[in-house]
Amino acid sequence: MDAVEVAGLVKRYGKVEALGGVDLRVPEGAVFGLVGPNGAGKTTLIKALVGSLRPTEGSVSVLGSNPLKDRHRLRQRIGYMPQSPALYEDLSARDNITFFGAAHGIPDLRKRVAEVLEFAELADRAGDPIHTFSGGMRRRVSLACALVHRPDMLFLDEPTAAVDPLLRSRFWAKFRELAGGGVTLFISTHLMDEAVLCDRISILRGGRVIASDSPRGILERGKTRLVVGRDGGEEERFIGGHPGDLAEALRPYGLSRDVRAVGVEAASLESVVLSIIEEER
Amino acid sequence: MRHTLAIAKRVVKQLLRNPRFLVLSVAAPLVIVYLLKIFFDTMPPLFDVARYIVPVAAFIVHFLAFILCAISLVQERTAGTMERMFINGFRRIEIIGGYVLGFLGLATFQAVAALTEAIWLFELDYDGETLATLFVVVWLLAIASVMLGIFVSTFARRESQVFPFIPLIILPSVFLSGLLVDVDELPDWADWLGHAFPLFWANDVIQNLIESGWEFGDVWASFSVLVGYAVALLLLASLTLRETE
Repeated sequence: MDAVEVAGLVKRYGKVEALGGVDLRVPEGAVFGLVGPNGAGKTTLIKALVGSLRPTEGSVSVLGSNPLKDRHRLRQRIGYMPQSPALYEDLSARDNITFFGAAHGIPDLRKRVAEVLEFAELADRAGDPIHTFSGGMRRRVSLACALVHRPDMLFLDEPTAAVDPLLRSRFWAKFRELAGGGVTLFISTHLMDEAVLCDRISILRGGRVIASDSPRGILERGKTRLVVGRDGGEEERFIGGHPGDLAEALRPYGLSRDVRAVGVEAASLESVVLSIIEEER
Repeated sequence: MRHTLAIAKRVVKQLLRNPRFLVLSVAAPLVIVYLLKIFFDTMPPLFDVARYIVPVAAFIVHFLAFILCAISLVQERTAGTMERMFINGFRRIEIIGGYVLGFLGLATFQAVAALTEAIWLFELDYDGETLATLFVVVWLLAIASVMLGIFVSTFARRESQVFPFIPLIILPSVFLSGLLVDVDELPDWADWLGHAFPLFWANDVIQNLIESGWEFGDVWASFSVLVGYAVALLLLASLTLRETE
């Protein structure tokens, strides 16, 4: 069973169409990336999945439940980390996590809060108020709040936006650790170096999914720049991203002795995604 | 109930962790009551001070409970913690109940402080039963004010959007609820409009209580309306507090 099944999802705010018929499937246990530029509808889609937004049309199923009709049952099984930290500034990290944990009736909540504080590397600042924390620390508290009830699925809305590269890599190590424990992760991002770390990605533009594949599958749709330097000068060609395309492209040269060098400039995920977005315009 | 208590505990904890806010919200009523003392000292000796001072103390609690609750709830929405509460499984009625319990603690403290200061400064002499009933009326008014704050917060997207409701709801209640002049002296339409404000019913009970020789039979009707007002606002607030966009 897929963890998320979305069909024909439309959300309109008056005349503005935020989502224009989204179809999406996320396999259970995957680290799924929702990739798209600002304003593509990523947050709107996540809000529809966690049950805080009523769709205008279409159907949504998360872990086999309707996020609106079965909201109280589903909320025990999902965790949500919004784009803004959404924390109580005057309260400590421990108080924030304990408060959101209290909603779930967790047995031995105190012990569980200590565990997630440890996981988020916040144990030494657990008693300090949030207003004394840096942006990265606030995000770690926010992640801990989303995790406290041991959800089966986590929705993370741009969890590493404005976070430095070192902390970002630590965040991703945590995400992989969670996925290793069987949690399905749904992560929205506009950072391509993050998208490449996902098992599967969908590209959202203008409220529509325009491509869904593994990062490698998306990369293979890109064009690789091949430069062959010969005695007579340089020859430049663009070939497909699949490894077989390179062999095919070199076959006409027979790798003769006058081929001195072969330069390959593979397309980055960012350039491929941008070209897919441009093609859809 | 467990969820309601968790929210109330969190609201109280937030208030306690903000000493500047806490001192101001208790100091403000005390300063206003003192300023009233200076003002009423200029009045002729036969002027009936008691007729004004207790209702004004009730109004201060009413105003502060309303504005503080409305702003806190709008802050929850702008910060995203309201959405987070819902997604974590807190229900509308639990959030409202938690807010009422949390703010009632502060409102009780304000009511006790303002009434005690007023009674001491103005040398008012009431028996224990009257005093206890006065506190209960101010409490009930505070509950209605918290409900009103929750209800109004649903119409504001930012903190600043709460302020237009002060001239719209709070200030007219000062003039039309019998606080300053007897409502019988107002035009009929203004008299009827005055009945729409919770302060009208609280003032009616208070005026009866401060007259010597009152009996519960004199005040129960207005008391019941005040309770009904709180219940009606609770229903309205629970209907208008949006869980989804």
